Amino acid sequence: MHRIRRLSVALTVAGVVGVAAPVAANATSLVTISGATSSYPLVSLLAAKYIKLHPGKVRFKIAQGGTTVGLNDVKNGHVTIADVAQEPTGADAGLDFYPIAKYAICVVTNKSNTLSNLTPSEVTSIFTGKTKTWSGVPGATASGAIDVYSRTAVAGVLTSFKSLLLEGKSVVSAATEEATEGLMRQAVESDPNGIGFLSNYQANKGGLNSVSYNGVACNQTTAASGQYAGVSVFFEVTKGPATGAAAAFINWVDKSPAAKKIIASEWILIG
Amino acid sequence: MIERLRKPWPDHRAERTLGAVSLLVGVGVVAMVVFVATKAWPIFEHNGLSWLLGGGDFETEVAKMTAATNKPPASVYHLRAWPLIYGTILTSGIAVVLGMAIAVLSSVFIVELAPARVSRVVIPMVRLLASVPSVIYGLIGILVLVPFVGNHIISNQEKTSVQNVVQLTGAGLGVTVVILTVMITPIMIALICEALTSVPSSWREGAVALGLNPLRAIRAVTLKAIRPAIVAAAVLATARALGEAVMIQMVSGGKTFSPKPVDGVVFFFEPLRTLASAVLDYHDGISSPPLGATVYALALLLLFSAFALSVTGYLVKLPLRKYQTRG
Repeated sequence: MHRIRRLSVALTVAGVVGVAAPVAANATSLVTISGATSSYPLVSLLAAKYIKLHPGKVRFKIAQGGTTVGLNDVKNGHVTIADVAQEPTGADAGLDFYPIAKYAICVVTNKSNTLSNLTPSEVTSIFTGKTKTWSGVPGATASGAIDVYSRTAVAGVLTSFKSLLLEGKSVVSAATEEATEGLMRQAVESDPNGIGFLSNYQANKGGLNSVSYNGVACNQTTAASGQYAGVSVFFEVTKGPATGAAAAFINWVDKSPAAKKIIASEWILIG
Repeated sequence: MIERLRKPWPDHRAERTLGAVSLLVGVGVVAMVVFVATKAWPIFEHNGLSWLLGGGDFETEVAKMTAATNKPPASVYHLRAWPLIYGTILTSGIAVVLGMAIAVLSSVFIVELAPARVSRVVIPMVRLLASVPSVIYGLIGILVLVPFVGNHIISNQEKTSVQNVVQLTGAGLGVTVVILTVMITPIMIALICEALTSVPSSWREGAVALGLNPLRAIRAVTLKAIRPAIVAAAVLATARALGEAVMIQMVSGGKTFSPKPVDGVVFFFEPLRTLASAVLDYHDGISSPPLGATVYALALLLLFSAFALSVTGYLVKLPLRKYQTRG
C-alpha cells in the first residue's frame, strides 16, 4: 500500500513536469538559422539585441556551414531561416529573400606585403592562376610564389566574389580552400605570400593588408557610396514568406533603429 | 523501496542486472552499425563497392552533392573516395611505424636503463601526455607548425615546382604525421612500459648469466616476451590515429589531394584529407541527401576499419601467446 502511494506521488510529479515543460517551451519560440559564415557575426549581434529587447519571447539557434548549406537546410525544412551571402539564382525558386545588409568583398594580403592597389585584370589573373609569382604583380613587396586562398564551394562570399570581381571566372583549382571566413583570415595572416578575399568586417579588423580594387579602397564608406565594385548583399531566406517569430525578427531587422545601428557599425544599410 | 536497494543483492539478481547492462552495450553497438549502414546505403546502391576506388574528383563530386535538391538524379550519387582512404593509410601508417620505433626504444630506456629517479618522473609525464586532447595539438599545429613550415622550410623552388597542381602552404602530410606521432606515441610508451615492468627480472638475469650482454638480453628475452603487448599498443595507437579528425582537419591542408612519393621532398608538404577529417568537413551539409549518404558511408568505412583492426590484432597475438608473461 505504502509503495503504491509513493509510486502514485512520483507519477503525478512526473506528469506535472511533463505537461509543464512543453508549455514553457511554447512561450518562447525557437528560431533556427544556418548558413553563411560571413554574415554570422552580424546575425548573432542582431539576434542578441533582439532577445534583449524582447525578453522571453524567442530563442535563437544559429549555426554556420556556408550559404549553400543554409539554402539546403531551409529548403528541406531543417531551419527557419538561412543566412545567405549571394544573390538569388534560378535554383532558389520557392524561397523568399529578405535583404538585411550590404557588405564589401575585399582582396586581402599578408600584412608584410604592402600591395596597395590591384587592377581588375590583375585580380582576375592572380586568382585564376595566370600570374603565379609576386614579381609579376606591380607594387607587391612579397617575393616568390603566390599562395591563393579561396573558400569552399558552399561559401556565398566565393560565389559573389566570382561574379563581382572575377568576371564570372573560377578560382584556380590548386588554391587552398578555407571553410570559414575566420580560417581564411588566419591563413592569410600567417602566410607572407598569401592572397585571399574576405567580407569587409573581417578584412578591416587589422592584421591584414586590404588591397584597393581599381584605385578604390575597400571599406564601409566606399561601399556605401557605390564607388567600390565588389558589394554584395546578406539575405535572410525563408521557405515561402516568413511567418511567426521569424517574420517578426526579419521585420525588426528591417525597421528598428536599434538594428540599423548595429548594421551601420560594420556593414552597410540597405537602400 | 530505497532500503531494499541498499541491502546486498542476491547473486542471481546481480548476475542478471550486470548481464543486462553488458547486453545493452552489445545491442547499442549493433544498432549503431545498422543505423550508419542504412544511412550509407544509397552510396552502395549507386556505386557498388567501386566508390572505394580512385578515378574521380572527390571535391567536384561533393560540390555537386552539396548543391543537389531534395530528389537528386542518380548521377549525383557518383563517388570515388580513394584519395581519402589513401590519405588515411598514409598518415596513420607512417605515424604508427615512427611512433612504434620511438615507443619501444624509449620504454626500454625508461624501464630497464634509466635510474629510478628519472623513470619515477618520466612515467607520470608520459601518462599525462597521452591524455592531452587532440584539439590542443591541432591548435599548436595550425598556429605554430604550419606557418613555420610554410615560411621557413618549404623553398620557393619547391613551391613553384608543383604550383600548377597544388599549392604548398605548410599544412600537409609532414606536419600531420609529426603531430599524429607525438599524439599516439605516449599511449604506446605507457602500455609497453607496463608490460616491460611485468617481465620477471630473473628471465633477463638468466640470459645475462648465459653470456649475453645486457642489451642483447633485452632484445632476445624481454622484448620477445612483451610482443603481445606491443601488438596491443600498436592496435590502440592505430585506432586513435584512424579516428583522429579535429587535429588532422586543422593541419592537413583541407584539400582532397593524393600526395605523390615521386615528388621527392615535396611529397611531405603536399596537402591531403583523411576519412575522419572529411566526415568533420562535410557534416554541415548532411541535410542534402547524397552528401548525407556520403558522410555516413565514410563513417561506415571507419567503423569497419576499426573492427578489422581489432580482429587483426587478435590474430597477430594468437601465435605470440606462448610468450605471455601473465595469465
